[in-house]
Amino acid sequence: MRNFKKVVALLIVTMMVFVTLSACGSGNKETTAADTKETAAGGETTGEADTSVTDEKITLTTASMMGGTDPNTEHYQEVIQAFMKKYPNVTIEDSSQVSDQTWKAKIAAQFSVGDEPDVIQFFTDNNASEVLAADQFVTIEEIRKVYPDYAADVMDSAWQASANPDGVNRAVPTTGFWEGLFCNKDLFDEYGLELPTDWDSFIKAVETFKENGIVPVAVSLNEVPHYWIEHLMLSAAGGEVFTEVPTDADGNLVARSPEEWVKGLEILKELYDMGAFPKDSQTISNDAANELFKTKQAAMQLDGSWYANGIDDQENTVVIAFPVVENGNKGPNDIIGGLSSGFYITRKAWDDPLKRAAAVEFVKMNTSKEQIEIYWNGNGMATVELEAPADMTPLGVSGLELSNAATGTFAPTDARIAGEAYSSIITSAVDLVNGTKTAEEILNNALQINIDSQE
Amino acid sequence: MPGIVKNKRSISVGKIIVYIILATWATTTIYPFIWVIINAFKSSTEVVRNSFSLPEVFTLKNFTNAFSNQNILQSYKNSLIISGTVTVAVMVLATMIAFALTRYQFRFKTALLGLLSASLMIPVFSTIIPVYKMMSGLGWISTYQAVILPQIAGNLSFAAIVMMGFLRGLPLEMEEAAYMEGAGVAKVFTRIIVPLCRPSLATVAIFCFLWSYNDLFTQKILISREKMFPISNLLEHISSKYGTDYGLMAASVTLIVIPVLIVYIFLQKNIVKGLTAGAIKG
Amino acid sequence: MLYKKKAPLAAFLLPGFIMLFIFLYIPFVDNIRNSLYNMKGFVELQKFIGLSNYQEMLQDAKLHTALINSLKMMALTVVFQVGIALILAVLVNNIKKGQQLFRTVYFFPIVISATAIGLLFNLFYNYNGGALNQILEAAGKEPVNWLGASTALIMIVIPTIWSYVGFYFVIILTGLCDISEDIYEAAAIDGCNKSQAVFRITLPLLRGVICTCITLAVTGALKVFDLPWVIAPQGAPGGITHFMGTYMYQMAFVNLNVDYGAAIAVVIVALGVAVSLIINKILKPDENL
Repeated sequence: MRNFKKVVALLIVTMMVFVTLSACGSGNKETTAADTKETAAGGETTGEADTSVTDEKITLTTASMMGGTDPNTEHYQEVIQAFMKKYPNVTIEDSSQVSDQTWKAKIAAQFSVGDEPDVIQFFTDNNASEVLAADQFVTIEEIRKVYPDYAADVMDSAWQASANPDGVNRAVPTTGFWEGLFCNKDLFDEYGLELPTDWDSFIKAVETFKENGIVPVAVSLNEVPHYWIEHLMLSAAGGEVFTEVPTDADGNLVARSPEEWVKGLEILKELYDMGAFPKDSQTISNDAANELFKTKQAAMQLDGSWYANGIDDQENTVVIAFPVVENGNKGPNDIIGGLSSGFYITRKAWDDPLKRAAAVEFVKMNTSKEQIEIYWNGNGMATVELEAPADMTPLGVSGLELSNAATGTFAPTDARIAGEAYSSIITSAVDLVNGTKTAEEILNNALQINIDSQE
Repeated sequence: MPGIVKNKRSISVGKIIVYIILATWATTTIYPFIWVIINAFKSSTEVVRNSFSLPEVFTLKNFTNAFSNQNILQSYKNSLIISGTVTVAVMVLATMIAFALTRYQFRFKTALLGLLSASLMIPVFSTIIPVYKMMSGLGWISTYQAVILPQIAGNLSFAAIVMMGFLRGLPLEMEEAAYMEGAGVAKVFTRIIVPLCRPSLATVAIFCFLWSYNDLFTQKILISREKMFPISNLLEHISSKYGTDYGLMAASVTLIVIPVLIVYIFLQKNIVKGLTAGAIKG
Repeated sequence: MLYKKKAPLAAFLLPGFIMLFIFLYIPFVDNIRNSLYNMKGFVELQKFIGLSNYQEMLQDAKLHTALINSLKMMALTVVFQVGIALILAVLVNNIKKGQQLFRTVYFFPIVISATAIGLLFNLFYNYNGGALNQILEAAGKEPVNWLGASTALIMIVIPTIWSYVGFYFVIILTGLCDISEDIYEAAAIDGCNKSQAVFRITLPLLRGVICTCITLAVTGALKVFDLPWVIAPQGAPGGITHFMGTYMYQMAFVNLNVDYGAAIAVVIVALGVAVSLIINKILKPDENL
């Protein structure tokens, strides 16, 4: 009996606590809304639009993909702190997270109910298609009509690369990425091998390493076959054919993949059969595959610029452009890379006279030349003209040389076709090497899914 | 007298076997726990390369890292409020449902049982977006109730089914006696059933709390404001395409686990025998 | 005889079922609707396709594998998870010293997140230098690809079953507490020894609880996601270790075929309901009342 009373008391107390808390929460919301209405009315009578940050107390909601172990998480949070220090009346509520599928689903849900943040750092390519469809972003052009010096430092090539799939620029890009073949140079030296700058030396390296008990290429076919799929297709097809989603004479999408795409993808199975990949490449986790490379048990790994920072041995590791496959059309120094994210301002913030200037200022702070240099930190591609940092490691220098020497930089396939279509290729990598599906089937199926999703 | 001596001897051998079995299983359950704690004091690379031994380089960096990722005390508070409320609410509602479904016979009983089983099965992934829209419409995103309400619903069927299992084991004699004395259903429920159910309520409370506490998915989608993050959100900070920080993961898991164990040890004391003693004699 | 007046029934049932209605049933109706459309992304409906997702399921070999694996898991969880838990609970209930210790310690695997436990087992199973292979190599044998096609399923099932034994252990232990000591005393006076007591008194009186455990175990096997996904994401290798729960997640969140994932969710629910109703009919848990 006493226990039951305890339970009831606990229940009442807990209910009271959270009712009070939620009441407090909603209370605040009401006063802010009232404030906005009053001052909005006041603003209308002043005449010329004021482009400076308001003095009123406002809350800016922001979101970014810089979270988790991303080294830029810290830097981004520092910008937030600096912003709030400069404008003490503005509170920034940030919800940044690593962009996994759950987060993408959350953002999509937010946009669909009008709950979107005021400023968001998000994808600019097809990965953002669901969100772009909600049409809640302001274009750069519109912003520049009121703020002509918005993101003035960003290079033209960067604007081109970061346009949304419909060709319009809405986001300010800060950094981009490149992808390349990471090699443990010390292993190559040990076995008297040249770095695999062409296909013959690549195959020779694979065979030699295999004979000597070293895993030639570290990869998790189950989790991250992405890079191999992209590079083999690019290498066989060359940049132009690689980046063109096939259409018929009238410009309608067709589900007939170019021969070169198929030929490229088939090489994945050839390499698998040759033993170029770890014995457990179908089940090994991506982290474990990375470990193989980092501990010198594997000689090569195809990955992106973000991988460079996590490698312990920065002295004996280099990164080079992926070699051209037999009869391939890629230029030897063509690489996969690009700009796929940037800072957007939503219409919600833009149309709100109190928030507009603050949002613009916030993006400006994140995209100034100095800040971009901090975000870039020598890794990947910068969207403004920058000098290489003085204290770069040999691997860092190698990466910079890779992107500077690139004769062509091509965006990976997920920038061009629907997410569902792209996933169907990725999740079929294991089927491909097992022989349960052919490269042609996989690619044609993906193109069909892409067509279906456009209706 | 000789009978007792014989009993004692055979119990000894049997008892040793029993303890061996129990101890073996105990080692399998203790080991991972110790493993996690030891690895919390290693750097990430050491965790992967040297995970089964004591730290070569003992470091507290993972914990300082975790503390800088989130306001730990605030997160504990959020978790306790959310999971505590869910637990209490579920205990009350589930016992009521279980009581009705075990004591009464009525036409829709099978249908309701079916509905209850159905809600047990519904995967959280499939209902989260509509729930998000609902909460957004009420302006409740990033509030406690946004997480509490769906979690109550999600846990209710499990708790009701478990309580039903326990209530079926309660002999009806005590209720019969109460009704004969003229007590109403409400009185019987509150004064006889509920106190007798103390062990079962504690059990359900433990699992309810645990499930709600560890339900990162729901919390991730419905809470965006950092101030409101529960402690399980620590696991969001451990990886990105730049790699996974395993040392941080071990430290985060340790930080997350501690309050739950405290709650468990505290609630566990309620799982005692002897509450139904005297039922038959009485 | 006892509970004839139906009036209070509504009071007991309504509050809970209203919650279930608002937060589970209605959103799930949304989910059912989603499965009948082609979806673009997570929120937008695109084109009505009727039962085409369900028709696709009939041909989907990976789904069939997932279903069979789930059925295997169901059988294994009932026998081993509930079985081992039952044995442990009866044993712990009968000892005097160390009860508290075992009760605390058996609970550990449940509180540790699946991510950590999954990592631990991955470190055991890793082909290159995982603990199991290290032991094999020290004994002079060849390393085994534990997560390879032939052994993957069992290597995933073992930790999944092991980690939740504690859950059923606590439930059964609680059920044992409800059995009054008086019954045992009375039986002992009649000449009943310990093992007879277990089979003739304990187990029958635990009927309701055991039925609950079996229901939960079977439905849990249908839903299981966390641990298998961490150890072998996407049903590695090649989708042969998929369960219904992981396959649904893969379709919705990896393949981004959200409507197909929704259809699988509907199937999971339907199967679960069918299975629990069957179990209820077979085990007749209300016998004791």
